Amino acid sequence: MTTLPFKESERYTLGVELELQVLNSRDYNLTGAAADLLAVLERAPHPGDIKPEITEGMIEISTSIQNGYAGLLTELTGIRDAMVKQAERLNLGIAGGGAHPFQKWHDQRIFDAQRYKHIHDLYGYLAKQFTVFGQHIHIGCDSGDTAVRLLHLFSRYIPHFIALSASSPFFQGADTAFASSRLNNVSAFPLAGHMPLMEDWAEFTDYFEHMRELQVVESMKDFYWDIRPKPEFGTIEVRVCDTPLTIERAAALATYARALARFLLEESPLEPSADVYRVYGYNRFLACRFGLDAEIIDPYERRKRLLAEDIGYTLGRVARFAEDEEGATALLRFREVAAARRSDSVLLRERLAQSKSLSDVVRWAADQWMRG
Amino acid sequence: MDLSFLPDFPLRLGNLVVIALILLAGLACGELFRRVLLLPRISGYALAGLLLGPGTFGLLDRDMLGDAHLMLDIALGLILFELGSRLDWQWFRRNRWLFASSVAEIALSFGFIFAVFALFGLPWLQAAIAAAIGTATGAPVLLLVIHDQRADGPLTDRAVNLTALNNVFSVVAVTMLLALLHLEYRPRVTELLMHPVYLLVGSALLGYLASVALVLLARWLGKREDLQFILLVAMVLLTVGVAKALQLSMLVSLLALGVMSRNRDSQRHLMPVEFGPTAQALFVVLFVISGAAVTLADLTAGAWVGLAYVVARLLGKLVGVMLFARPSGLRAHKAALLTLTLMPMSATAVVMVETTARFYPEFGGQLASVVLSAVLILELTAPLMVQLALRGAGETHPEAQWR
Repeated sequence: MTTLPFKESERYTLGVELELQVLNSRDYNLTGAAADLLAVLERAPHPGDIKPEITEGMIEISTSIQNGYAGLLTELTGIRDAMVKQAERLNLGIAGGGAHPFQKWHDQRIFDAQRYKHIHDLYGYLAKQFTVFGQHIHIGCDSGDTAVRLLHLFSRYIPHFIALSASSPFFQGADTAFASSRLNNVSAFPLAGHMPLMEDWAEFTDYFEHMRELQVVESMKDFYWDIRPKPEFGTIEVRVCDTPLTIERAAALATYARALARFLLEESPLEPSADVYRVYGYNRFLACRFGLDAEIIDPYERRKRLLAEDIGYTLGRVARFAEDEEGATALLRFREVAAARRSDSVLLRERLAQSKSLSDVVRWAADQWMRG
Repeated sequence: MDLSFLPDFPLRLGNLVVIALILLAGLACGELFRRVLLLPRISGYALAGLLLGPGTFGLLDRDMLGDAHLMLDIALGLILFELGSRLDWQWFRRNRWLFASSVAEIALSFGFIFAVFALFGLPWLQAAIAAAIGTATGAPVLLLVIHDQRADGPLTDRAVNLTALNNVFSVVAVTMLLALLHLEYRPRVTELLMHPVYLLVGSALLGYLASVALVLLARWLGKREDLQFILLVAMVLLTVGVAKALQLSMLVSLLALGVMSRNRDSQRHLMPVEFGPTAQALFVVLFVISGAAVTLADLTAGAWVGLAYVVARLLGKLVGVMLFARPSGLRAHKAALLTLTLMPMSATAVVMVETTARFYPEFGGQLASVVLSAVLILELTAPLMVQLALRGAGETHPEAQWR
């Protein structure tokens, strides 16, 4: 039982990780410059943390523990600005977006670190195909039991986060017809999907120990679930979001997750249910494929609902849980995005229609990220 | 019996046979280098040139080489165009230390080579011309290795940008020094200034006009790689031809064409240059011919000074790059690798030596031998250096072959 202690943290505290694209400024393809960028960033003061990712054209930023939208955005701005300054010295572009529109997976080089080499050895081409860019949102939980409960309640809302963050319509040089193609790459991993329905932390610990004895996993990192508990942080980690095109959108997604968590735990409008997981995979696909236009199945009401309307309705109910003025405004803006069905994916497709060049689309995306 | 249907003997082999010979010798030597010596093919091409050339076995004489010059012009033109289109002014503006390291690298390699010649007691003006030729990195070798290894990354970009600048400097400096040399023999002060100005402004203007046409036509053609390649070859040939007719600098015109078409093309109508199999054949000709420019006589006359030239050049570039490596955001070991990528000398240097010798035969003789020996030493070794550097920096494609 004590093998997997859950660090108690303050409820609803926030942390964000963002995987970003490192681009050359010639044709805006991914470029293997993460190590050089990290080297110059080591000597430049910046908030948060900046780390390598599995391939050399990726870099990950993460914030410290935050309490609301304003603080989160301030920290993200600080990290972004420091990174952009160094990237410009090295003639690199940085962009959000869940997938690079035209990189070729076999062009990617695995970052020189033991863990990534191991993943490449184990998963073969899946490792390089994993050159996709997500936002992870951590929500603080005061116990393992809270984490397990919150995780199962949250599963009903996974399509919201997919559709609101969707920014990977293009992959390997082609339009995928998906709003978020990125999750298809995650799904290829054997331990992807959702955590099985459990009662509490004790049951989860048993499950984890069992999987470890069977040698399916070595650590929690081996689960590629959409939401997974992170006992060493004392959080649950929502992993379905594409990295949005702007830091404002990233902060707004985190704010929505936090407000939703408060709503679900404090008002208990729903109870965890196996029904959620019966429709889970299909809803997840619909949200990836059609984005805000998806018609998902509401497992509690047992009927179809337009995702954009479901989001608008939920945003309305959770708005009062926003921690600060700026957060409330950000949620309001999300309602407009949902109502107008204008996700980042839609903007990217519009840009392509204008310029007819994926290279130009990435240049524009880098502009959104670097100059806000 | 009338045997007039038979050809006259000895046979006069036309330029088709010459080009075939160049290609076959290049292929054979390149493959031998790759398979037996485990060295890059490019080095083999140069050796083929040396062996076939007028100075050695003499299978290719100067007239025959002249016939193949058309292919060399296209090949060099494509290379210089690409060099220009990869030059990124914005980067030098955003990172002034990068510009500083470019200036240092140029100044020190110039200074060190000049010092070596001064040490050997050569006339200073000629020493300066040889030093100015030596500041330029051989773009054909650099870009070909980059393409061959499908290299991409910050070191690759730096190498290309520094190379573009040191090539521009080299052309300008050689032109001005030639004008000075001119002054020494036929004193007329205005030429000292007028010639470089005519050359630079005229070539830039030509490059500009060609870039306008290129981008407009590319837009009209649409994104068709095959069609755009034809267009590019045409525009490159046009630029080379007009530059020659107007006695402008082919190098500056083509660089300008590259730089300006990239900058004018905000909608990205131009597709990136892919050197397909056809272009590869042109590059074989390029390297064989530049190898043929060197003779064994040059080598025996200039080898030791040539070696000193190479070492001085290496040291100059090394110190120059190292000096501002850190402030420009480059780690020390990467700076050392960057120096290796700047080492090649090739066709452009040969062209400059030939131009100089044509205008001023006084320059020929030993000095030309020294520079050409250096070119040969580097044609044999620099491809390997560039390849090692790009590999060492981890910027070659995961599937690129070692040789």
